[in-house]
Amino acid sequence: MLDVARMAVDAARRAGADFADARAGIDETESLTVRNQEMEGIDRTTSAGVGVRVLVGGRWGFAATSRLDEAEVVRTAQLAVAIAKAAQRLPGEPVVLSPVEPVVASWRSDVREDPFLVPLEEKVALLMEATRRMQGVAGVSFAEGALDFFRRSTWFASSDGAAIDQVVTHSGGGTEAVAVGDGDMQRRSYPNSFRGHVKAAGYEHIRTLGLIEEAERIGREAVDLLNAPDCPSEITTLILDSGQMELQVHESIGHPIELDRVLGMEEAYAGSSWLSPGDGGKVRYASDLVSVTADASLPGGLGSFGYDDEGVPAQRTPIIVDGIFQNFLTNRETAPVVGQASNGTSRADGWSHLPLIRMTNISIEPKAGSLSEIIGDTKDGIFMTTNTSWSIDDKRINFQFGCEMAWRVRDGKLAELYKNPNYTGLAPEFWGACDAVGGREEWVVWGTPNCGKGQPGQVGRVGHGTSPARFRNVQVGVR
Amino acid sequence: MPGLIGADGFREVSEAALALGGVDGVEVVFMHDWGGLTRFAGSEIHQSTFREDTELRLRVVSKGRVGVAATNDFTSAGAVRAAKSAKEMAEIVAPDPLWPGLAPRADVAPVDRYHAGTAEASPEARAAAVAALIGRCAPGFTAAGAYETQAVEIGVANTQGQFCWSPSTVASVTTVMSGGEQGSGFAEVFSADMDAIDPGAIGGRAAAKAVASQSPRALDAGVYPVVLEPAATATLVGFLSWMGFAGRGYLEGRSCFSGRQGERVAAPAVQLWDDGADPRTLGASFDFEGVPRHRVDLIKDGVFIDAVYDLRTGKEGGVASTGHGLPSPNPEGPFPLNVFMGTGDATVEEMIRATERGILVTRFHYSNVVNPMESTITGMTRDGTFLIERGEIVGPVRNFRFTQSILGALSDTTMIGREAELASEFFFSASRVPAVKIEAFNFSGVSDH
Repeated sequence: MLDVARMAVDAARRAGADFADARAGIDETESLTVRNQEMEGIDRTTSAGVGVRVLVGGRWGFAATSRLDEAEVVRTAQLAVAIAKAAQRLPGEPVVLSPVEPVVASWRSDVREDPFLVPLEEKVALLMEATRRMQGVAGVSFAEGALDFFRRSTWFASSDGAAIDQVVTHSGGGTEAVAVGDGDMQRRSYPNSFRGHVKAAGYEHIRTLGLIEEAERIGREAVDLLNAPDCPSEITTLILDSGQMELQVHESIGHPIELDRVLGMEEAYAGSSWLSPGDGGKVRYASDLVSVTADASLPGGLGSFGYDDEGVPAQRTPIIVDGIFQNFLTNRETAPVVGQASNGTSRADGWSHLPLIRMTNISIEPKAGSLSEIIGDTKDGIFMTTNTSWSIDDKRINFQFGCEMAWRVRDGKLAELYKNPNYTGLAPEFWGACDAVGGREEWVVWGTPNCGKGQPGQVGRVGHGTSPARFRNVQVGVR
Repeated sequence: MPGLIGADGFREVSEAALALGGVDGVEVVFMHDWGGLTRFAGSEIHQSTFREDTELRLRVVSKGRVGVAATNDFTSAGAVRAAKSAKEMAEIVAPDPLWPGLAPRADVAPVDRYHAGTAEASPEARAAAVAALIGRCAPGFTAAGAYETQAVEIGVANTQGQFCWSPSTVASVTTVMSGGEQGSGFAEVFSADMDAIDPGAIGGRAAAKAVASQSPRALDAGVYPVVLEPAATATLVGFLSWMGFAGRGYLEGRSCFSGRQGERVAAPAVQLWDDGADPRTLGASFDFEGVPRHRVDLIKDGVFIDAVYDLRTGKEGGVASTGHGLPSPNPEGPFPLNVFMGTGDATVEEMIRATERGILVTRFHYSNVVNPMESTITGMTRDGTFLIERGEIVGPVRNFRFTQSILGALSDTTMIGREAELASEFFFSASRVPAVKIEAFNFSGVSDH
């Protein structure tokens, strides 16, 4: 497939491209869903093709095809050049790329047990037993278990001479118990909502999840929620578990630090950012306790790779240090705007899409203490766990999140159980009111395999390392 | 530019897979799509793309057990490989007690939704349209957005003898114009035929909104009367389709309509239906199981009629499929994709004149479910939110967060626009809806812009 990528680059150069790179790729997935001990779905997909990106007169063109014969690859490269030329119809600043050393390299994510080689029978048996145990809890209406496996193989070539092949493998699994009654529905998920916990790993990750061992507890909690009162509406101290912190970081830190959003390149669709290009080192984003890092070399992170889709090596970049915003996520096109070289965050949703700035692994640095110690140190507040819903404005300021389950914290102990909890806030105020971040022992690398961005729409696979955290003066129980 | 593979091309590739031995049934779903998108920001074209892909999705049935495999290798050999992989999976799993069988042979009424000019649109044509749109930008403002032209051919063939194939196109223009003191304006349009789109007119609409949105003032959160333009109405209709009219959730008691058949759930003037065969909508006139689409009443005169079904949920509910099957496997089940809201007799201007104090909303942004059983969602206003006082727009306001029951909003709907248009929601396909006036709408928070 590297030959296909090189063929596309060569054809683009012959057609008049000043610069060209191409990614030939194969995506493979396997997905299993069991519900109430019945097979809801089992499928495998494969998708192969090549996408070629060109610069002509400082304007981008991109074209992709699933047909990999030479004539089609050449035609696609020529079309990319024609698209770039058409873009010159409107005036504008030509794209200038930050420099990158072209490398010849191979990279593989860490896999100890190839998930695609584990027998289907074993996977089905795991989900059947997990759902059987959830169903054994009186009051559970639906018990669901899911496994998802993903492998992306990419062959990258550029007119600068880069030649890189990479393979990333991701594995994920989770369970969900649903209780329905009296016009109400409540669900509990494990280890996280929306099909569980996905990591850059092989099947060994699935073996650590404890889907069977935790099944009965999840079922009981779903039933308990049916009988719980709604989370009260008040301004209070809020404690979030590590799983909910994943999405809090994703939506209210990860997206606003993307420099393409800051520059207005996503404005019409996903929106822009409350940050400005000159904010690095100047703007207080959060309290002194909060430090955030983008790290594309984080073991287990869905945003980990050897090289991004522009051939830039994986990097670790400080985003927020002691509450002060430091750096944006950049690519080769945008980094010069802030006087930097790319910090390597350009990724595409496979061979058929143009690379965009995407989160790598955006993680809050662990501080000190366990979740129980944070709760023990709280006189009055609400503890929420496991995301159900998210919404945030186009500049990533006003957000509202819903969780599956909450408890009153009273005098350092969990007290009443609440259902339908949610909370809202303005990002800089919320993060500024963070007065506790849990320690390394509570820090989990979560995966977000469904991050939407771009037109045509792309799905990004990104990671977040998070600990539980506490925030003061938060509006909960939004009606 | 790629062209149609055609019914014969699909039939030829599918035949080898349909002949797979040792199984009870095979279904082949074929999708071939291509299209270009010219994206602009800061009034410059910054991302222009083109992609072409095919997919063959094989569903194989053996003794009531089902496996699915998909490939983009559009050859007979690729189809057979995928069919064998699906067969391997089907042989491992337990039988599905609700397996309904593959779709029987049925005639599908043809619809003319393929425009060759749109399918063959050149990057130069899209760039020229974008230039016309940006040309309407007011001084000191810039435009961002996208002009997309797409073509897709979809086919379904199965061993029950069903064979259907349909090509269609869609062109869409979306823009946000911004500048000055924080204000922005939005406009969009969809059509199967790019020649029906006037990019300059779209630019003009967005430009007027952007100019009128300057220096928005902060207004307290609270319950207000609202006038929703069609793009905002589409958010309510899109979410209700997904979490309310979905047959599986309805049957399982997880829908806000569960157990409410024949009950009044909205104002008497509210009519909602789904009709994939209506020429005014987009896509194919059959579903991904090969079942013909037709009109299905969802809410009639404010009364809930029924949900929508695919073959499996239809069997579970003791009704026929309504032609809403999605690509398998589909644990979520079916939901409507071609929703229409009945029109009324008011213009947006008349709705504004009938409002003593309220809010005009151009569109919502990044909405999501709060409580599906109450049909409550939350989201933000965006790109043109205005205060109405004594029947007139008096100025822009900062964006609100809303937390609102959709059925509550539809129950408080007092005026409905006389014209409907195709409008999209961030997460869903386009529905054809009018503007509406709602007497009580809950804005639960305010942003800073």
